[in-house]
Amino acid sequence: MLGRAFLLLATIGIFHAAYSTYEHLSYLKALERPEGPIPQEIILETLFSLFLGILGACLNTPDFKEITWSSEMRKHKIDEMDSRLGFASYVNRGKQILSNPYSKKSQ
Amino acid sequence: MSLQSALQQLASFRANNSRESQETFAKGLVVLKAGKTVNLGEEGWAFLEQLALAAIDVGRIDIADQCLKQLSDKFDDSPRVDVLRGIRMEATQSPSIVLSFYDELLRISPSNAAIWKRRISVLRRLGKLEKAVEDLNEYLDTFYTDVEGWLELADIHASCNQYTYALQALSHALLLTPQNPFTFLQFAETAYSAGDMPLALKMFLVVIDMNESEDEDAIPLGISVRAWWGTKLCTRQLVASSATHNSQSNTSVPKNIKLVDELATERVLTAYSGEQGIQTRNLVSKWMSRR
Repeated sequence: MLGRAFLLLATIGIFHAAYSTYEHLSYLKALERPEGPIPQEIILETLFSLFLGILGACLNTPDFKEITWSSEMRKHKIDEMDSRLGFASYVNRGKQILSNPYSKKSQ
Repeated sequence: MSLQSALQQLASFRANNSRESQETFAKGLVVLKAGKTVNLGEEGWAFLEQLALAAIDVGRIDIADQCLKQLSDKFDDSPRVDVLRGIRMEATQSPSIVLSFYDELLRISPSNAAIWKRRISVLRRLGKLEKAVEDLNEYLDTFYTDVEGWLELADIHASCNQYTYALQALSHALLLTPQNPFTFLQFAETAYSAGDMPLALKMFLVVIDMNESEDEDAIPLGISVRAWWGTKLCTRQLVASSATHNSQSNTSVPKNIKLVDELATERVLTAYSGEQGIQTRNLVSKWMSRR
């Protein structure tokens, strides 16, 4: 929350500083003065936005994910681990128990 | 139930190797009827295979035939589709026809591991356990890294009470997946069935160690409960007959066995401390205090 607010402020600050520089340079061009140094305030604004942006990006990271084997294994169940699907037998009572109870069945 | 959630659930079943055939069939039928399998891309074919297997398991061969037809239209000469055809034949034809079909396929391409496994499964189902074990050993000599195969071998031996061979097969499985506590649990329980208490105790403690969470006083969950139960059973027997117990694998009994017994009792009772557990807890403490 705070990180995102900082990032937003920093973005606005950078765009504002860029626009101010453009305005300043076009003002000098209109008055036909030679291009002098950029005003102190714009430089200060740029540096401040950079600092705020770095802070916001650091605060805006997602939560840590588990990487240990034990945390991975805790998510599994025994039936999944021991299922041995390559050897599974597909000839079982499923046909009699689970198929449609109202179909024609041998008694 | 939306299409998206059904697809997600099916993908999780595929990733976890779970064999929930009824649920898979119900959800898969929804997707199939929606007719969008062609738009799923790569995953669509895996989904069709999964639905075909679930349909055969549940007994709906008609749906399985539909999926099989779509798959063989697209992949005519694939070994995976051959396996599916074989399984479909297993469900309807007699075993000798199926075995000759598999032998023919193996003659053409002897490196099709899945067909070897199906053949062994058919032999086991017929009750020809000696032949099945012989073939399985031959298969595992070639494909050593197949953990499924080792687990199946251990299961066949354990079903015939040949616990030494089962433990040998499980130790190969442990070499291949040393990070899996479920295999250790199966090893411990097989050792307990074989009567080798110190070895079983050692392995149960390994499982508990692997499943360690940061909070030491937390309620045990999942396979920790099973492992603590196993520890309690072992320590109970060892405390009752400690000096005279000889273990087949020459494992020594730990010195502070009484303390382990108390710890195991406390941990098992803690596991039954939720609101659902309170009723069972009385039964458990009665059993514990019986000896």
